[in-house]
Amino acid sequence: MWYRTKGRENDIAVSTRVRLARNLNGYPFDGRLTEEKAKEIIGNVWSVFDGKEGWTFTDFASLPTVERASYAERHIVSPDFAKKAGPCALISNEEKSVYIMVLEEDHLRIQAITAGFDLAGAVQAVTEAEQLLDGALDIAYSEKLGYLTHCPTNLGTGMRASVMLHLPAYTGAGGIRSLQNQLGKLGLTIRGMAGEGTAASGGLYQISNQITLGITEDETVSKLEDVIGQIIAKERELRGCISRESLDNLSDRVMRGMGVMMYATRIGSAELISLYSDVRLGAALNLLGLPTETLDEMLMRCMPNTICTEHEGVTTPADRDRARAAVVKEILGRANSAD
Amino acid sequence: MLCERCKKKEATFYYHENVNGNEKTYSLCSDCADELEKKGEFKKFGGFASELGPFESLFAGDPFEHMEALLSKQDLFGSLFAPTKTRQLAERIRAKKCPLCGMTLSDFAREGKAGCPTCYETFADELEPTIGRIHGRTAHSGRAPLKFREKNEMKNRIRVLEAEQKEAIRVENYERAAEIRDELRSLRGNA
Repeated sequence: MWYRTKGRENDIAVSTRVRLARNLNGYPFDGRLTEEKAKEIIGNVWSVFDGKEGWTFTDFASLPTVERASYAERHIVSPDFAKKAGPCALISNEEKSVYIMVLEEDHLRIQAITAGFDLAGAVQAVTEAEQLLDGALDIAYSEKLGYLTHCPTNLGTGMRASVMLHLPAYTGAGGIRSLQNQLGKLGLTIRGMAGEGTAASGGLYQISNQITLGITEDETVSKLEDVIGQIIAKERELRGCISRESLDNLSDRVMRGMGVMMYATRIGSAELISLYSDVRLGAALNLLGLPTETLDEMLMRCMPNTICTEHEGVTTPADRDRARAAVVKEILGRANSAD
Repeated sequence: MLCERCKKKEATFYYHENVNGNEKTYSLCSDCADELEKKGEFKKFGGFASELGPFESLFAGDPFEHMEALLSKQDLFGSLFAPTKTRQLAERIRAKKCPLCGMTLSDFAREGKAGCPTCYETFADELEPTIGRIHGRTAHSGRAPLKFREKNEMKNRIRVLEAEQKEAIRVENYERAAEIRDELRSLRGNA
């Protein structure tokens, strides 16, 4: 799982995701697909992986709602996939770095997640998974429009690459709006942490390519590499410009935050996200000896539905806040004792 | 999709007719469509798709707006085309239905998404402006599935051999030219 490993530029880059949208010839898309045909697609796709070492099949439709939502919170599946009615499946590799959503909006969404800023690693992982499918399945493709997708916005490469960045200094300096305008001109887009249509929280943003037609996979990746590299450099520069007085204030806030996280018996989800942002910045600035990936793991494991999935009997919001405080204490305690 | 009549060329013409519930559908290449039209099988409303191009800019903004405009006929096109042509255009577009999933252009405009991969072939002309507006481009560059890569490699090989063959004939190396001819024959047989 990505949030258990250290990645490149981890002080600012949280994770990198790349997904490929693929469809099968001869089958309608979601909404026009009968249950029988849907099951046929799932069977055909799994038959490619069945028997190959390390691949696991999950009948996603049969999972309880909270567990499905937990997958979405940890960005393993899209929010739409978590809510989807009808047959759907999730196929994953042994390292849990590649996930294939079967019957999301497209017949197939092949996705790789890596820690930190690692577009090349994520692209390689999805490409390897795709190679297993290519040749075994009749993938919908036209020489003019490239890979054919349910939504015309994904035509061409069908590839969406995104990097999640922690930009508290950029946000504090009021630079996000102008960044949004600049990225738009380059065919890139910036969104809040949970993806499409969500507000930014905890200073977390996802930057991804918008255009998929008429641009190669390599061009898309190198454009993102270049632009995100510049954003990371800028965030680092802004962090370096924090005045001595502000740093003093920040340090106090970070330590108070640590106090709450170590000793509170109930922590709400919104409160944790805001604590996370302060403490992650403090950790990146070496104000305290805590690896940033520990905080990323903490955030992912403390999402509401993930708490409910991992803790039996947790149902009410108060139960959840208590369980969350316990998870935070456990993860931070483990990191402290490792020092 | 191949032309249903000659089964050789790519079908680029789709025709759907409904006379008192008696339905007729054709997917034809342009040659077969011309031939059938001459025989009086149907009346082809040719040439409209290319006429749409210059008016794209009228519908800038919502990428699907122009489709609705195409479907809501008279008002926008009334001043641009003669009334019968306008009606024919609207009828032709309305009659088009994806052979695989049954989607119509008005379904596409309403849903904003294709019904199946074949829709992109069925509505290629009508969708081109929409796709151009979304991506700024209308042609793919990038990777392709294995079978297309193989096809392209074969096409390239044929191109190289043809050039070599010409050269062999020019220098009167007929033995080599004959070898190339045989190789080309087998390559084309596979294609």
